Amino acid sequence: MPLVQTATSVPVTIDDAKCIADKGCTVCVDVCPLDVLRIKELADGTKTAYMKYDECWYCMPCEADCPTGAVTVTIPYLLK
Amino acid sequence: MTAIFEDFSDIDDLAEGLDDPSAGGRIMAVIELADSADPAAIPFLARAIADEDAGVRRQAAQALTDFDGPETAAALVGALGDPVAEVREAAALSLTELKDPAAGDAILPHLSGGGDFALTACLEGIKELRRPEAMAPAIAALDAPAPAIRVAAVGVIGWLQDPAALPALCGAATDGETQVRKAALLALGFSDDPVAQETLVAALGDPEWQVREAAAETLAKSGGPGCVPALTAALGDAFWQVRLKAVRSLGKLGAREAAMQIGPMMDLPIPNLRKECAAVLGELAVPETRRFLDPYADDTDPDVRKNVRWALERIGTA
Repeated sequence: MPLVQTATSVPVTIDDAKCIADKGCTVCVDVCPLDVLRIKELADGTKTAYMKYDECWYCMPCEADCPTGAVTVTIPYLLK
Repeated sequence: MTAIFEDFSDIDDLAEGLDDPSAGGRIMAVIELADSADPAAIPFLARAIADEDAGVRRQAAQALTDFDGPETAAALVGALGDPVAEVREAAALSLTELKDPAAGDAILPHLSGGGDFALTACLEGIKELRRPEAMAPAIAALDAPAPAIRVAAVGVIGWLQDPAALPALCGAATDGETQVRKAALLALGFSDDPVAQETLVAALGDPEWQVREAAAETLAKSGGPGCVPALTAALGDAFWQVRLKAVRSLGKLGAREAAMQIGPMMDLPIPNLRKECAAVLGELAVPETRRFLDPYADDTDPDVRKNVRWALERIGTA
């Protein structure tokens, strides 16, 4: 599974301001069937989810189940 | 969401999180309470559904999907008046997941009056609970101006399957709204009363194809030999969806007299229809229809081929 090594546009983006991973939430990580999301620690010590592996299937549970609406999945135009 | 080997703490410990000063912390408490699957969490979730933060309220309404009973229903019904649409919608969705008939105690008082959204949600919530007390308010709701309420009311009446409600359902089958007529016709499936059959046959002439499709489909359950001519006429409907349901119903009714009308439909370019025709011709097993099936033993669609082979075998042994 390829690692995302450089800054690029990824399908799953997380709004750090809304993410409550810091409170122990791992809903998006748990529901992802491809296990592409992880929790990371930010420079200020808080935690947030992020897309670690670029293998998204656009199945959407991460966006649908996020309790704070922090996750956005951008579906490529040709898949819509 | 639930970790398999997670060791849940005492409910009271989990509920302490509902006093967290941050909304995120309270949301996590709601998730953990829901994951506990312990009915003791219901009062705490009912409290969270009145939280000052809309995100917490929405999560609580969503979390109550995993629970049942009157207390859950009461909390969800209360949330139907929430100022935030997402919370109301989550509560309405959770109401439809209730399965314990006792939960209906909290819903029944709200089946008359209230806003359109709350009334629709309450009708949809009580539908599968099959509470006979819901019949009268549901019949009254058939006069509501909002089509969504009338559709939900038809659902309640249909699930109760009470012959006494037949006049109400037959009335709804001529409603001005397509979705209401369709729901009413599908709900008539429990009855083989001649009045139900007449209503269904009349609906085969409805201007909307979805309604005609519902009528043709339901006649498989409610229809009798008297409905065969109308279903045979529906084989010439302009919409293949209606024709498909008519074919299926004729098969279920064992209408061998319609076999020679169904046979030529094997030439139509719609694989779904050919598949259904082949299956029904096999069920009816009329030897004269073999000539319609033979050319399709090597159809491009595998499902059609399979049904044609099966039908030819049945006809061969008939």
